[in-house]
Order: sequence, then structure tokens, then C-alpha cells
Amino acid sequence: MSTEPVTHLADENLGDVMVVGGGISGIQAALDLATSGFKVFLVERAPTIGGKMAQLDKTFPTNDCSMCIESPKFIECDRHPNIEILTYTEVDGVEGEAGDFTISLTKKARYISEEKCTGCTTCVEYCPVEIPDPFNQELSPNKAVHIYFSQAVPLVPYIDESCIFLKDQKCSICEGVCKTGAIDLHQQAEKLQIKVGAVVLAPGYEVFDPKVRGDYGYGVIENVVTSLDFERLLCATGPHEGEILRPSDKRHPHKIAWIHCVGSRNVIEGAHSYCSSVCCSYIQKQVILAKDHDADTEATIFHNDIRSYGKDFERFYKRTENLPGVTFIRSYVSIGREIPETKNVTIRYATDAEGVKEDEFDLVVLGVGLAPPTKVHRLAEQFGIELNAHGFCETNPINPIETTRPGVFISGAFGGPVDIPESVMSASGTNALTGALLKSRRGKLARDRVYPPERDVSEEEVKVGVFACHCGANIGRVVDVPSLVEYSEGLDHVAHAEEGLFICSTDAAQQIAETIREKGLNRVVVAACTPRTHEPLFRDTLREGGINQYFFDMANIREHCSWVHSKQKEDATQKAKDIVRMSVARTINLEPLEEFDLPVNKRCLVVGGGVAGMTSALDLAEQGFEVHLVERSSDLGGMARRIQTTLEGLDVQAFLDDLVRQVYRHPLIRVSHGATITDVSGYVGNFVTTVESEGQIKTINHGAAILATGAAEHRPTEYLYGEDDRVLTQLELEERIAEGEENLIETQSLVMIQCVGCREENTNYCARVCCSQAIKNALTLKAIKPEMEIYILFRDMRTYGFKEDYYLEAARKDVKFIRWEASEKPSVEPAVEEGRQVLRVTVPDPILGSRLAVDGDLVVLSAAVIPSTGSVDIARKFKVAMNPDGFFQEAHVKLRPVDFAADGVFMCGTSHYPKHLTETISQAHGAAGRAVTLLSQDTVTASGSVCEVEENDCVACGACISACAYGAIEFHETPIGKKAVVNPVLCKGDGLCCAKCPTNAVVLKHFTDAEVFDQIDAALSATEWS
Amino acid sequence: METVAPFAEAIEEIRKAGAESTRLCFQCGKCDVYCPWNQVRDFSIRKIIREAAFGLTEIEGDDIWRCTTCGSCPSICPRGVGQIEIGVAIRRVAAEYGMFPESVSAVRNASASLVAEGNPLNAQRATRAEWAAGASVAPFAEETDYLYFVGCYFSYDPRMKKVAVATANILNRAGVSFGILGSKESCCGESIRKTGGEQEFRDLAKGNIKTFIDHGVKKIIVSSPHCYHTFVNEYPEFMVNFEVVHITQLLAELIEDGRLELDGEYAKKVTYHDPCYLGRHNGVFDEPRQALQAVSGLELVEMPASRDDSLCCGGGGGRIWMETPKEERFSDLRVQQATETGAEVLATSCPYCITNFEESRLGVEGEKAPEVKDITEIIDEVISGKDDDR
Repeated sequence: MSTEPVTHLADENLGDVMVVGGGISGIQAALDLATSGFKVFLVERAPTIGGKMAQLDKTFPTNDCSMCIESPKFIECDRHPNIEILTYTEVDGVEGEAGDFTISLTKKARYISEEKCTGCTTCVEYCPVEIPDPFNQELSPNKAVHIYFSQAVPLVPYIDESCIFLKDQKCSICEGVCKTGAIDLHQQAEKLQIKVGAVVLAPGYEVFDPKVRGDYGYGVIENVVTSLDFERLLCATGPHEGEILRPSDKRHPHKIAWIHCVGSRNVIEGAHSYCSSVCCSYIQKQVILAKDHDADTEATIFHNDIRSYGKDFERFYKRTENLPGVTFIRSYVSIGREIPETKNVTIRYATDAEGVKEDEFDLVVLGVGLAPPTKVHRLAEQFGIELNAHGFCETNPINPIETTRPGVFISGAFGGPVDIPESVMSASGTNALTGALLKSRRGKLARDRVYPPERDVSEEEVKVGVFACHCGANIGRVVDVPSLVEYSEGLDHVAHAEEGLFICSTDAAQQIAETIREKGLNRVVVAACTPRTHEPLFRDTLREGGINQYFFDMANIREHCSWVHSKQKEDATQKAKDIVRMSVARTINLEPLEEFDLPVNKRCLVVGGGVAGMTSALDLAEQGFEVHLVERSSDLGGMARRIQTTLEGLDVQAFLDDLVRQVYRHPLIRVSHGATITDVSGYVGNFVTTVESEGQIKTINHGAAILATGAAEHRPTEYLYGEDDRVLTQLELEERIAEGEENLIETQSLVMIQCVGCREENTNYCARVCCSQAIKNALTLKAIKPEMEIYILFRDMRTYGFKEDYYLEAARKDVKFIRWEASEKPSVEPAVEEGRQVLRVTVPDPILGSRLAVDGDLVVLSAAVIPSTGSVDIARKFKVAMNPDGFFQEAHVKLRPVDFAADGVFMCGTSHYPKHLTETISQAHGAAGRAVTLLSQDTVTASGSVCEVEENDCVACGACISACAYGAIEFHETPIGKKAVVNPVLCKGDGLCCAKCPTNAVVLKHFTDAEVFDQIDAALSATEWS
Repeated sequence: METVAPFAEAIEEIRKAGAESTRLCFQCGKCDVYCPWNQVRDFSIRKIIREAAFGLTEIEGDDIWRCTTCGSCPSICPRGVGQIEIGVAIRRVAAEYGMFPESVSAVRNASASLVAEGNPLNAQRATRAEWAAGASVAPFAEETDYLYFVGCYFSYDPRMKKVAVATANILNRAGVSFGILGSKESCCGESIRKTGGEQEFRDLAKGNIKTFIDHGVKKIIVSSPHCYHTFVNEYPEFMVNFEVVHITQLLAELIEDGRLELDGEYAKKVTYHDPCYLGRHNGVFDEPRQALQAVSGLELVEMPASRDDSLCCGGGGGRIWMETPKEERFSDLRVQQATETGAEVLATSCPYCITNFEESRLGVEGEKAPEVKDITEIIDEVISGKDDDR
């Protein structure tokens, strides 16, 4: 039945920004843009937003549940008044220019009306057609009509083309069973035309498909799977509900092999020459998780370099390595054969000195790489942007968020294989850049969130609603949820109890709000997962339901119960009942609390005048915000002053000079040189910072702060550094080259040593940039003097992403690479060779089986990037956290990579973690983008769960003041004498002051004595409370 | 553990002989994993390349002569290292210094024979065309369509002469216009080049090219994949461009075009072995199979390692002339693999493969090892319905 698709001009087809791609990067971009006052269309071609991150089980290096940290953002998008989500929609064409684009789209037919569907899944139950489930990598069946995954937004099924009606006009069972008449088997695709001022492209990536060339027997040998297949096998929402069952016989594999670099680091046609950046870490994650599932699992990992270059990656690597039964073998491999009787798979690998060996495995997991998204050429053509040689988006090295077309920005993996934090940083960065372009439009199309009026429940009888979640199989497989619900119904004051499969899904959450209204509930207990990820969502749901959000309590029956007692179902069920009973007891006492609206000062303070600080400052200034940029030295520029070029060939000094000029010229940026920050006080939206600079003392009132205090170069204490002036660091080498090529006339050979001052016991991190910097300098030297012998002595070559191409280029130019292991470091000694004074560097070469002695006129040490000396003091002043390595600690390493846990303070650049110039620029845009989400508001809301002093009981002993780490309590004069008073905006609600107070004068709202003690009593005596 | 230093002069000498790409290697070990040697003993081509990169090659040793140039490792090398070119470069240096270990001394004889008589088998040039007696084979003349470049083994070796005769029969039956050069034909030179005999190769090639040009040769049929390989990939270094076709390619074409009718039956289970120089090096996988599958009654079965994964017989890289201990012969493994398919015939299309398989099959105990046949021998049987002794 093919008639013309209906052309439909939406009334509201005008927006500010279109975000194309609804993965984590697109979602973050949409949220930041929308919160900053822009109307956003979030377009996604799959039936739901979520992207690849939704398919992951856990994310490294924290092993957080991926869906748990991502799905609350789905609902945030769904509830955000400034975001319109268009799923199952593709772009047809683009016209116009920056500031005025007209984009035509086709919303594909789901054959289901989004307005009428309630997500009840009755149609799914009755559908007779089974198809391989695309979300589960086709490892398990689903129906032709199904919801893509349980937390989908929108929570509406779609009908796949295998539907019998769509093919042969036979069968319409689903239509018959649908209670709301939502199935429309004659639905047409809809054509839309939307006008926006700017576009953000975040289409993500595709996974390398080993089936194309039959790599490693994939597609032929059953027990060879890809890492994404394995991810689904691990996941509780996967084909076997979280049991790792291998394809051939559905038994648990005990001996598993992981193969690195499948489709990556390979010049052969059909593969990609670049490094996919994330596979080393995701393989380690899968090993850790596999051992979580079964402690007896033996894991063998076949690799050729471990690229643990990111924040906390090295620790994660060591953690994996130290697990029992885990072996790392440095060798690429081949599949030996499939053993017919067992369907086990053998792998052949090379050893350094013991020949080629063959080992047998129950399951083989391929570490597949990242490739450009499907139909990338069509996308590039439609948007008129250039792609690079690898098929990813061509970006500007000094602004990796720009494409080759003005007004079209990118974020995420479309620019090249990157990890989630980088995708989130660049997403926030698009907010900074589109904001500059569209600043005159800010707020014009935005709408405020409207909640129903809050009901006064003070006169009502307490009516608790208990909502118990199965969380798929995570809880449901261990805890008897129906029995829990029945039990809950019997508890005092419980007026309603029900169960749900995934209460966090949009529909279920909406249902709670409706049930609150219908049943007049005035307390809500959700028995499910952790408040750390889901409390905000459910508190918001209570507001939607018309009651105060603080009437909510979360009973954690997953992390605290089903996940830790997975083998004791009966006891776990009893414990779950205990936890719910405790929660109900607490909830009865809960009071409605007010949150505060605080005014926001629209000025921003940027600490640090390097590339990061200056980039953020310019972004903010371009959007009309006043910026104070403070720099402790006499010049702007920071570490970049010592860098001449990048691997990609950027003229850093020219770039830097231009950046500095822009900063000085901008009327909204005030720069303080030679500055020291002497005091910081206040709170989000209202900071007061005192700066001493060039003899003056300035007091700056600002709403937000961006800390960009940079990093320093480690001064080596080994390899004769400091004792022999022929031993330099990479920065010193770069300076020497810049000073003049004459300096190199005498240099016939040069030896570089990597990993100096890092990747050791007390500096257990990787400084990320050194492998690339060494190659950069080597290539520079080869260009000047091709006959120079250059040796690079490395432990792992960490040229991740597109930098891998430069590793190959260096090899082509005859730079020689020698690997060494931590067990025997290189030795450096002066020597004389045929009359020439040299430094002799000796190290065992694993392949030669001998020690190799190479001579250099210079020895260059890749000294680690270390935290800057000023960062500790700054962290203390701003009351922000630092990580074990001395870099700033972000609020969440994956999803909040530029935010501090302390509201209103952001970070960027190498003070966060060592990074390359382009990465710094991207993160700086991100920090500015995040700061804008705050500064563009007129007010900011502070939590209601804060402490309060009952002045009559206070004896002014000061114990509370000494206990508070946030400076949130102080004394003030009252008619009844000196009393302690809490500043509710600074208070974090941790309750330490309450514990210290000898007279119980301080009360923590939302955790009062009555609430806590009743909860404890309920724990101890089941009978009294039921 | 001893300490060594890079030896600059050796690095330079090996590099100049063709080992430029040692620098690309990043020691991933994949070459060792794929190398057929590691199915019979420990052998590390990775180590040879690493040593060459630092001028530390053991130039007098056996290891540098092991590589059969099968092409497995370069086909999977993620860095694009040219392992064969490096191996040949090292051998060129060794050959220049006359360093042939005992096990390789036969190369010296082959070389001398090539120079003197244009074949490596110590046979006389004058008798090169004797195989053709009674087989209706004419000398190549100006008007002849195809030159049938017979090849040394097919011309002199008793087993392989049968294949030449079968080939001639087929060509005649199909009405193909072809002729031979007889004693004017010299060895194509492929294998001596792979043992470092660069000058010998150049002399042979130039001689052949001159002969071809003088006779007005445009199209060439070859029986040996090695001749095929060098004519297609290496002779163009001399700025010539002949049209070269392997007999199996021509067979497939003739059968497809109906110019060759296969009236007879060959009711046997046959497995086909892809020769390295026909399959992996030159991508000719389908035509031999098409020819076999066109034979009535023939059941074609595949060995597990087929096509690109085909196991080398051990004859390439000049090793056909060298001694390989019994327990280190790839061809023994291959014949075992063929036996395991239950095939009655192991068919292939390369003189080295057939030579090696014929020897290996003698060692198979108990189970009857398949017969070894060239594809042309099978086709010959079904075009004339003739039986084995002709």
C-alpha cells in the first residue's frame, strides 16, 4: 500500500537548535541547550533515544550500571519543556545557513499512535511473529511489534517490517487486542520541516562488523562473539537475563578469551588503521564483570599494547591484572579451530621465546573497534560537511566542535573514537558555541516547566503508596516482588501497593503521579535501586503528582539486597520486606520541605589563564557574560607557551598569540596577572572571591567559577637527569629545537625513554600525552635531519584514536621502537664509541632475547604530567575535591566530567587530567557550556534537606561549626545571645553537626530524630509496625 | 643475557637489498601465529625481522632459509610489513657472501644448473622438449595464438611430464592454437630469485623476454603457479606486459564457452588444494573449482584450511630443492588433512605441491591416502574417456 507520505507542517516547527542523534552526547547537548533557554529538537533515527550507551551493561572505570546513569537523562529530556523529541525520524535535506536552517525530516511510520499508546505491551504478547532482537544484538528473539528496550523514551512500541500485515496484509491481532486503539497499520510516514538557527550533529559511531571478512570465524563459529554481544550477555536485561550463556549450548563459559584490536590498528583493506580508543578499557571491564558473575572464570586477554591512558584507567588495568585467573598475553592471534564435540574454540598466539602456543576456550570475545556511523556519507552530504580520511567528521584542531560548515557543530564519537566523558564534554561544548551564535534568541522560544499546584496534606490522614520494582531481573530474579507487595499492603498507613517491571520508565513514572492523585496518596516509597541515580527522578514525579517532593523515600532493595544476596532468595525477600517496612516507618514522619530560589550573579570567575581558561572565558564573554580571568603568573598562556607544535601540525604559538589577543580585546573579559586568590566564600550563584593582583585587592562577586589551573612537568630523578646535561625532558627538547636547528648539528642519534615518573606504585596513573609527544618530537627531528637515529623506548605505545596513524608514520620514517618492561628499566650510562662521547641506553628486547644497547648524543625523558603546584590551595579555597593523583575530582567521571560535586564550580584542562591541546579546548568549551546552564538562569534552587538550629536549645559551644566542612554554620547575635545559624544554601545536609551537638539543637530536615529512630525501631520489631 | 648493539653496516646492506619494511613491524606476533612452520616446529619470522631491523641477522644460520614464501603472514600483517621481500633481501646478502648452510647447499647446485642449462634440475637444455614427443605439440610460430610456457618440472620431471602431456591433449581437444619454445625456453626464475639469486633471476628473465619478443609472443599459458606469479607480478619490472593465463583459468573458460566438452565420468570424491602461488598470492580460487565441478560424477569436498587459509606444501621459496626432515614437512600434514575428508583424490595444480604430496602420501599408514592428481590429469581422463595408462 504505497500512497504519498503525508506532508505535515507542525505548528511548532520553529526551534533554536536541532540535535541530530539521541545517544548520550546528543542527550547532554539537548539538556544543556534547553536549560540555557533554547528550544531544542532532539532527532533520533532509532525508535528511542539512548544510543550505544543504552546497550552497555556497565561503564568503566567505575562499573556503574550504564542504563541507571543514562536513563534518568531520558526522562529529564522527556519532561523538559524546551526539548521536543522526534524518534524514528531521519533527516531528508538541509537548506539555509547559520542562524537560519530549514531541515526536512521524515518521521517513519511506527504504525502506532504515540498519543494513544500507554506502553502496556499487550500487542507484544499477542504478536505471532518472532524476530531477532536488534537491541540484544540478535541473540534472543523479540516480536515484530515491540518496545526497543524497557526504559525507552517514548515508551511506545514500533512494528518491524517483518510484520505479516505489512508484508502480506494478513494478521492484525495487535490491532484487535489494543485497548486504546493505538495500533494504526495504515499509518503513513510524516514529513516535517523545521527551522532552527543551529545544528548539533551527534550521530555517534557504528561497531566494526567482523562478519564482513569473517574475521576470527565470527558468524561461522558459534562461540565467537563481539564485545557488544558479550555486553548484552552480561546485562540483566539481555538475552539470558544476565546469565552469561554461550551461544552453542547455553552453558556458562568458564574459560574466556578476549582479542584486542579487531578491525583497528590494521592497514589491511576492510579494517581501520586508527586505534578505537576504548577497547582496552572495555575489555578490562568485561573481564571484571565476568568474574563478578562467576569467580572461577579464567580470562585470557590477547593484546598488543594496553591503552589505559584516561583518568583512572591505569588503576582499572592493574585491578584487572591482579584478579586471580586473569592473564594478559601480548600477541595478536588467530583462531586455531572449532572443536566439533564441545564447540570450544582454540586460539593460537605467539610468545616471546617459547614459540607459538595454542589454547582452548569456551568462549571468544572480539574487541571490535569503532567505525563511522552508518550512512555517514549521506549525512555529510545532507549537511554539507566534510569527512576526514577515516570517514569521521572533519574537525578544526583548534575547535574540535566545529565542522566545516558554519552553524553546524558536532559532539561525541562522530569526530573520532572517544570515550563517554569526552562525548559529554563536547556536548556541553556545543552549548557554548551555539550560545554564541544564537545569543540574541536565548529564552524567546523557551518555556518554563509547569507543575500542578502542591497539595497541602497537613490535615490529611497519612496514606503511603509503595511501588516495588522488579528492575527487569535484577531484583525480580532474587526477591519475590509480588510477595513484597502483598506484605506492603498489610503495613500500617499503606493505602496502595503495586509492582512494576521498570518503575523508572517514563510510563511507570507517569503512572505513579496519576496514582498519587487518584488515590490521594501523600507519602511515596519506591522500593527499587539506588537514590544516587534515581532520587531526583522520583522526587520530580511526586511534584508531577501534586505533592511535596520530600514526601518521598527510596528503599534500596537492589544494591542493598538482591545484588548482594543473589544466592539467598528467601532471606533476600525477607530482607526486602524489612527494608520496605523501615522505609514506610520513616516516611510517615516526613515533612514537606521548601527549596530555596537563590538569585544568580551572572558574572563568572575563571581561575587560570592558559588555553583552557582563556577558551572558557571567551565562550562566556561571547555570550554576553562578564568574566574575570585570574592568572598567577605575569603572562597568559600557561603550559602552551612551551609547546611549538602538535602531532597534527598546528602552529601552537600563532594560535596562542591569537587567543591571547582575543582575550585582551574582549570588552567583557577582565584579566588579573600575578594574581593570588586569598579568599573564597559564598555558594552557587553567589560567590565572593578576593584576589590580590599587581598590588591591588579586588573583590569579585560571581555566580560560577571555572578552575583551569593547569599542570606541570615532573622533574625526573633518574636516568642521569640533572646530573648530565645531555639528558632532557620532552619539553626541554622541544624548546631546544625551537631555539635553532644549529643546536642539533652534533646530534647524530637520540634516545627517548617513556613513562618517567608515572605508571609506578606511587604514581599509578598514565600521563596520557607522552607517547604522542615523543612521536611528535621524533617526527619534527626527522623532518629537520632525516639521518638522525631516533629510538623510542616504551612500555605500551599509547597513541590512541587517530594518533595511531602518526605512530605508523614515525615507523615509516625509521624511528625505532624498543619495548621494555617495568621489571627491568633501561639503564643510562656515559660511554665512548669510536671517539664519540655518547650516552648508552641498555634495555632487554623481548623479541631479540638479548639486551640491546643503543647510543644517543641526547637522552630525552618523557616526564609525566603532574598536578600544578597551586591546585591544592585552590581546591581548598573553593572547597572542591581532588582525586588520589592530585588532579581535580569531577562529580561523576563519565557523565559529569567538568562539574565539581560542589555546585557552581567547574573545571577544564590539564587540572582535570593530562590531555592534549585539542582535548583541552573541547573540555574548556564544555565547562563554559555547563557554566552557561547556570548563568543563564535568573535563579538557582537549593536543596530543602538542610540543617536548622533550634536557637532556644543552642548553648553556643561551637562543636557544630568545627564539624562542618562546608563552612555552612556560624555564630550570629540574637536577642537571646550568641547562637549558631545554618546557611541553608551552603549546607549539604550531611548531619555531622547534628551528631556533634550536645543539646540536640541542630536538626537535619528530612532526617529528623523521629524519622531515623522510627526507621530503626521498624527494623528491629517487625510485629509492631505491621 | 648477552648485550648487543645495532650493527649499522648490516642494517644498511640488508635494507638496500630490499628490507625497507622491517621498520614497520610492531612485534605483534601475528606472523608467527600464521606461519605454517609453527605447526611442525618453533620458528619465528618475527624474530628474523627484528634482527634484520637492527643488523643482527644470523647470516650463516638455517633459519633465514626456512621461509617458503607462502604469503600467509604478509596477507594478515596489520602494519603492511613485506616479510617475503625482507627474507629475500637477507638471502641476497647471504648468497652474495656465498653463505649457504649444509641443508641449503642444493641451492648452489640449482643455481649452477640454471646458469648452465636454464633449469634447476641438472637436465640438458637440448632435451627440454622431449616430453612432447608423440603428443601433437608444435613449436610456437608467429601466427600461434598462445605460447604454452611449459616450465622446468613439467619438462623434465617424470611425474610432471604426464601433466604436460595431459595439458597438451586438452588444448588440442579444445582446438586451442598453441605452441612451445622447446629448448629456447628457460626457467622462469621465480624460485631462484626467492633464494637470493637476484642476478640469476634477471638473466633468466631477460633471456625469456627477449625470446618472447623475438617470437612475437603475446599470450602465455602456464602450468606452474610459480611461472604465473613471476610473469604477472615480476616480469613487468622489465617494462613488458604479456597476457598470462594459468591453465586452470583457461580450462574454466573453455568449459564455460563450450569449447571443451567433458563427456566422460569421474565418479570420485575429490578435494582441491589451493597452491600458495595460485590462490593466496594471485587470487585464483574459483576457476580450478569450476573446472572440477564441471566434471560429471565428481564430488568436490573442501579441506578445513582452504582458499586463503590453504596450508603450504612447503615447496616455495626454493625449498623444493632443499632437504626438509620428515617430521617437519607441511605436505605430510596436508595429505593427512586430505585423507580426513574421505577424498579419494587430492587434486591441485602446482608442480611443487604435487611433488611434495606424492612423497608424503607414501608415508600415510593404514588408511589409504588419496591419489594425487593435477587438475589437467582429471580433465584429460574425461575428455577422451582414456584410462590411466597412456
